[in-house]
Amino acid sequence: MDNKINLSQLADLLSQAGGMSKAASEQFVKNFFDIISQSVLTEGVVKVKGLGTFKLVDMEDRESVNVNTGERFTIEGHQKISFVPDAELKERINKPFASFETVEISEEQAAKLDKLEQSDASLTAETTIKPTTDMEKSKKASEKKEAAKPQVKESEKKEGKGGVKVLIWILSIILVLALIIFLLWPLIGGKALKDADKNAKEKAPAPAVVKPAPEKKPEAQPAKKEPAKFTLTKADQDKALPLFTVADTVNYKIVGTKATHTMVKGDMLTTISLQYYGTKKLWPYIAKYNGLKSRSFKRMPVGFKVKVPELANK
Amino acid sequence: MNNKQFLTELSGKCQMSAEQAAEQIQTLIGVMENLWQNGDSVSLSGFGVLEVKKKNERVSVNPTTGVRMLVPPKLVLTYKPSSILKEKLK
Repeated sequence: MDNKINLSQLADLLSQAGGMSKAASEQFVKNFFDIISQSVLTEGVVKVKGLGTFKLVDMEDRESVNVNTGERFTIEGHQKISFVPDAELKERINKPFASFETVEISEEQAAKLDKLEQSDASLTAETTIKPTTDMEKSKKASEKKEAAKPQVKESEKKEGKGGVKVLIWILSIILVLALIIFLLWPLIGGKALKDADKNAKEKAPAPAVVKPAPEKKPEAQPAKKEPAKFTLTKADQDKALPLFTVADTVNYKIVGTKATHTMVKGDMLTTISLQYYGTKKLWPYIAKYNGLKSRSFKRMPVGFKVKVPELANK
Repeated sequence: MNNKQFLTELSGKCQMSAEQAAEQIQTLIGVMENLWQNGDSVSLSGFGVLEVKKKNERVSVNPTTGVRMLVPPKLVLTYKPSSILKEKLK
């Protein structure tokens, strides 16, 4: 694999396969490629049956930009050698991938693709800001979703069909969100607003793709967070256990066993961490205390006993 | 230059019959094909490199109909001329 085969190695292989002497094989291979490279220069085209066609192609002048200085300059017209492999050879080379076929992308999938591209774009923009906490991430994710939705709407409108379904879907989601906001506003409204203010500064340079009106954001965020079910309890327990703040997860040492937790269905290290420390962020301590490697995180069976370490400030 | 002309020139240079040369050409191509299928590249000074490259899947748009197509990944035999040969072009 990935070896570079040179003239003499190729000649060796040929003499083994073709029954010629090594010297004759080497001469043959040398002549073979010499004739191709010379004839392509003198005659412009060489066809070799079973291999392909070498051809001289004229390239026209074209403008380009110097990447370093931004200056425009013209690449003058020149000739280059193109190679088109023989159809049969091409097919045989591509055999490992021969089962694939070109597929037409339906309009629904195209809309999804648009969404993906957009979230990709905003993702790359976000990564330049700075590492964010979980909460911010989930908020941004929800923003992304919202940014993507109007796009879907637009593309669906163009299609005319199926648009009604999506509209109803979006409307029902908005309705449900509004209901949740209404119910939970007294509980989390104040905190979320504070957080939103904090985040507003960081978000300022964030992508301009966020289409919804800005005053909508603080409302939408707490609602979006709710389905995860962590945020609410987390907010409560943060208050109850002020010892642990999200930012300083590396400032603790393990001083003993706090409790032993038996895994039930749906338990993860993060949920255990949330349960005992009031934040998901401290799960690595549990993993370390139990000697768990990253591979085994997902394989902890129901009934597995996890020792929860007692943490103290360093 | 077509295949026949190529064959006569090669057989003349190597002092062998046309049939023999044709046979050797096929074996040579067969040998190289095996190398390519193993992922090796054939590199000859003064000529260039012949190697197989993987092209990733991509989305292409039919400019007249606007229909998007997902083109599957493929393995393609590519040729890169050596700098000596490129120099001769000028």
